[in-house]
Amino acid sequence: MERMTFVVDGAMATFRGAPTRFLAALLVVFSISGCASAPDPSDTEAYAEYQEINDPLEPMNRAIFQVNRGLDTLILKPFAIMYSVFLPPAFQTGIHNFLNNLQTPVILANDLLQTNMNNAGVTFTRFLINTTLGVGGLGDPATELGWQRHEDDFGKTLAVWGVGEGPYLMLPVIGPSNPRDATGRVVDSLILDPIGLLGTLGNDALFPYSMTRTVLTAVDTRSRFLDEFDEVEKTSLDFYAAVRSLYRQNRRNDVDKFIYQRWKPASEREEQPAEPATTDFPDMSDMPELDEPLPE
Amino acid sequence: MRRVIRPVPAFSLLAIVFSLLLLTHGKPAWADTPAQGAQDLVRSLSDEATALLNKTGESSEKRVESFRGLLRQYFASSAIGRWVLGRYWRQASDAERKEYLSLFEDYIVYGYVKRFSDYSGEQLKILRATENDQRSVTVFSEFIRPGGDKPIRVDWRVGHKGDTYRITDVMVEGTSLSQTLRSDFASTIHQGGGNVESLLIVLREKVAELKIDLGISA
Repeated sequence: MERMTFVVDGAMATFRGAPTRFLAALLVVFSISGCASAPDPSDTEAYAEYQEINDPLEPMNRAIFQVNRGLDTLILKPFAIMYSVFLPPAFQTGIHNFLNNLQTPVILANDLLQTNMNNAGVTFTRFLINTTLGVGGLGDPATELGWQRHEDDFGKTLAVWGVGEGPYLMLPVIGPSNPRDATGRVVDSLILDPIGLLGTLGNDALFPYSMTRTVLTAVDTRSRFLDEFDEVEKTSLDFYAAVRSLYRQNRRNDVDKFIYQRWKPASEREEQPAEPATTDFPDMSDMPELDEPLPE
Repeated sequence: MRRVIRPVPAFSLLAIVFSLLLLTHGKPAWADTPAQGAQDLVRSLSDEATALLNKTGESSEKRVESFRGLLRQYFASSAIGRWVLGRYWRQASDAERKEYLSLFEDYIVYGYVKRFSDYSGEQLKILRATENDQRSVTVFSEFIRPGGDKPIRVDWRVGHKGDTYRITDVMVEGTSLSQTLRSDFASTIHQGGGNVESLLIVLREKVAELKIDLGISA
């Protein structure tokens, strides 16, 4: 599964002059919304829970989450449904591959920033194969030829450099994040992406292109999580808390897995490395008999 | 046609009696290591689930009850329920605990039976198992999807005590079901003012809602 968010990739790159305005708006929201107050550290269990949840801006985050849900219901989800219902699956796969191929510069730049020549080589070779044999990136023959795709972003680069994720953060339009990965997103879309960089430098010539790409990416990503997202919404007691937990676990797993096997050649990379995934398993060692029946 | 009746040799009689004993004892004789025992448990669950899903024309009620049976047989529901409630378990009264555990089972059954039913046509491939400590094993597996899509990674945490093996958590693509429920429930209690009763109110409503969705009358 990819990131469990209906993230708008490169959204920031598309709104001209937006980064400053966006940050200013964020600051205003930060200052007017109260922080959730921390419990007394002497109450160890409550304090441990508070730190585990690690969402000091919860009231603001919840408000933004509500707005995002509204936007999703009104705009993104209907388009994603039409996309997945009316467009033949082969077209959808083609568009997905095409969008993946366009991510090459960002992935390559991050591979290089991590001085991981092995990964950089894979990314570059994939680009060559898929752009030529794969007809401009619509197909993905590289994977069949043994060049497995890996995702890379500046958030991961920061993680490789030792930066922790920090508290939970709900970004307007973009969705769940944290300070490290939000920073990563800004760097990816405004500096490492060539079209984004062009926009940052004041050249608007490719604005329609990047706008189209952003919208397509959003619809493509959302269409892949239609059922899953509905199920989570339907079954969770507190949808906000369930999304927060799912996002965080998913991202941690992605980053841990990436860091754990980043030096392995692609052919030896496992879908399931034994190491990182076991950290968050609940410890039920002080639990009663495993087969204790439930009360009738 | 002439039928030949041969006397049954003593040693094969012994073998039959022995295997019958084993069968009635209900203990997998081949589970000599916890890792093996845990893998057998997951495989057996997968086989039973597949058989169940291949039965067509079952009513919604029937399917829900079969699903409940699997849950009781293979999962440490009670232990999971307690762990999910976390520190609030100790705050809860006996009556609250009893109602909570019964609602918890209903919530899992009605909430996940649809997801479970959607998994038809997929195959569970068990890859390997590692012993985490004296009490638990992680079984690594993947769901092979019929369309040739990327397999879905599923890890099973299996607890064991003596000959008893029970699943305590399922991790899909690195996200733990038990952990997600724990965060969700803790937050619900927080929002409701910090007492267990507030969670029970929400759970009762949710269970009723999920039942209606499945077309099951209360």
